[in-house]
Amino acid sequence: MAVPVPWACCAVLAAAAAVVYAQRHSPHETPHVQYERLGSDVTLPCGTANWDAAVTWRVNGTDLAPDLLNGSQLVLRGLELGHSGLYACFHRDSWHLRHQVLLNVGLPPREPVLSCRSNTYPKGFYCSWHLPTPTYIPNTFNVTVLHGSKIMVCEKDPALKNRCHIRYMHLFSTVKYKVSISVSNALGHNATAITFDEFTIVKPDPPENVVARPVPSNPRRLEVTWQTPSTWPDPESFPLKFFLRYRPLILDQWQHVELSDGTAHTITDAYAGKEYIIQVAAKDNEIGTWSDWSVAAHATPWTEEPRHLTTEAQAPDHGQHHKLPGTPAYHEDL
Amino acid sequence: MLPAAGEPAAGDSWGMLACLCTVLWHLPAVPALNRTGDPGPGPSIQKTYDLTRYLEHQLRSLAGTYLNYLGPPFNEPDFNPPRLGAETLPRATVDLEVWRSLNDRLRLTQNYEAYSHLLCYLRGLNRQAATAELRRSLAHFCTSLQGLLGSIAGVMAALGYPLPQPLPGTEPTWTPGPAHSDFLQKMDDFWLLKELQTWLWRSAKDFNRLKKKMQPPAAAVTLHLEAHGF
Repeated sequence: MAVPVPWACCAVLAAAAAVVYAQRHSPHETPHVQYERLGSDVTLPCGTANWDAAVTWRVNGTDLAPDLLNGSQLVLRGLELGHSGLYACFHRDSWHLRHQVLLNVGLPPREPVLSCRSNTYPKGFYCSWHLPTPTYIPNTFNVTVLHGSKIMVCEKDPALKNRCHIRYMHLFSTVKYKVSISVSNALGHNATAITFDEFTIVKPDPPENVVARPVPSNPRRLEVTWQTPSTWPDPESFPLKFFLRYRPLILDQWQHVELSDGTAHTITDAYAGKEYIIQVAAKDNEIGTWSDWSVAAHATPWTEEPRHLTTEAQAPDHGQHHKLPGTPAYHEDL
Repeated sequence: MLPAAGEPAAGDSWGMLACLCTVLWHLPAVPALNRTGDPGPGPSIQKTYDLTRYLEHQLRSLAGTYLNYLGPPFNEPDFNPPRLGAETLPRATVDLEVWRSLNDRLRLTQNYEAYSHLLCYLRGLNRQAATAELRRSLAHFCTSLQGLLGSIAGVMAALGYPLPQPLPGTEPTWTPGPAHSDFLQKMDDFWLLKELQTWLWRSAKDFNRLKKKMQPPAAAVTLHLEAHGF
């Protein structure tokens, strides 16, 4: 009587057969990854094939002309970005895949651009960086922060890849901070560093919620209100001062007002009837630099409603009134 | 005016500081302001704040000139030496929570003591300065700094706080070590100016805080937009 072969035994045999088959027919499951410099020349050998082996090369599935070959090796001159791709060489007669190369054309990194700023004084500051020109291949960055001789932790930003955050341990320090960054990729390496005092990098975010409203019965006034930026942690102990600029849309010249406190201001010299654009910036009272300008607010001062006039000679038509030009009688400066 | 202590012998200048600084501690007591009907310490706090801003501005040009006189590397913008020596300089640096929770008296006392020390050291610097122009600038700054001290003393008196008296043995003396080279002396000068600048920034924040605490609660800004036809 035949003993039935256990099911598990069959499964193992099948798996082993599959592995052997795969190895024989796809000698390189994962292609060899290669990085080469833009503009350079590269020679890709067809794996371990002899120089005089008969092979065909393909890139991303498209055949390559045989004049690029030097024996069984593929020669690419003056690499361009378009040369990046998956190169495969096949035995010419059997179409047996012999070798695969994933070619990435790129550049070594140039000196990174690094800047730091404190928009949350006195809580801390952040540093952000970027490369002035792309490398087209993956880069890794490494940031170190020194306060005197003490190493400080720069916590990665949860959302932005090229930013990290440092918390101030002490205020009013005479010792400078030094932030260094190094960048490297498969083709090269670069680095830079900046040194600064605690106070010099303070720059708040712009004021928020800037609103401008006309003032009833006042044709030359506009009331502007805003809020301190929500990122500024302690406006009580570290008050901000503000800079307001405004102009009618039709003119290029701005008027400026500096305000040492308060988050409201009334413009009293607006041109009657003209639409205005208004922006506000913020700065710590004593240290650092001005923020960027806020989102602009628009407003037109109050104007008197034109009065409807009719004459006896013309009876009013239904739904239509004859109106005199509706400019109210006050002096226009323009 | 402070009594002249006589021209110091070379290398002996720091010893003279003890005598001069003792005199400094005994500023004439500022009579307490008559509290009935007066505006309170507010205006003098404002004045003190304004003085710190003025001094900070003045220091910028003075420090630039002095660091150029010291020469490189002291006048290089990236100069970032380790904080060694100059241990007796009053340090402005402080933990944030500690600074926030200082009571008014302590806040004022720390400022007063710091500037008293710094003024002493500055006077020592003045004696060493090589050019007449530098000595003039330093002397002018010292006078202004003296004014700031008087202003702080005025605020303390108005609030009823006693001026800090030096404990015996804690008078600022800055005696150089046995091998105090020219370079190390310049380092000390560098840190003195740095600390002075930082203290002026800190004081602006200190007096800002005092000003806010002394003000009556600010009336809420309410915008009355009457709805005429709106």
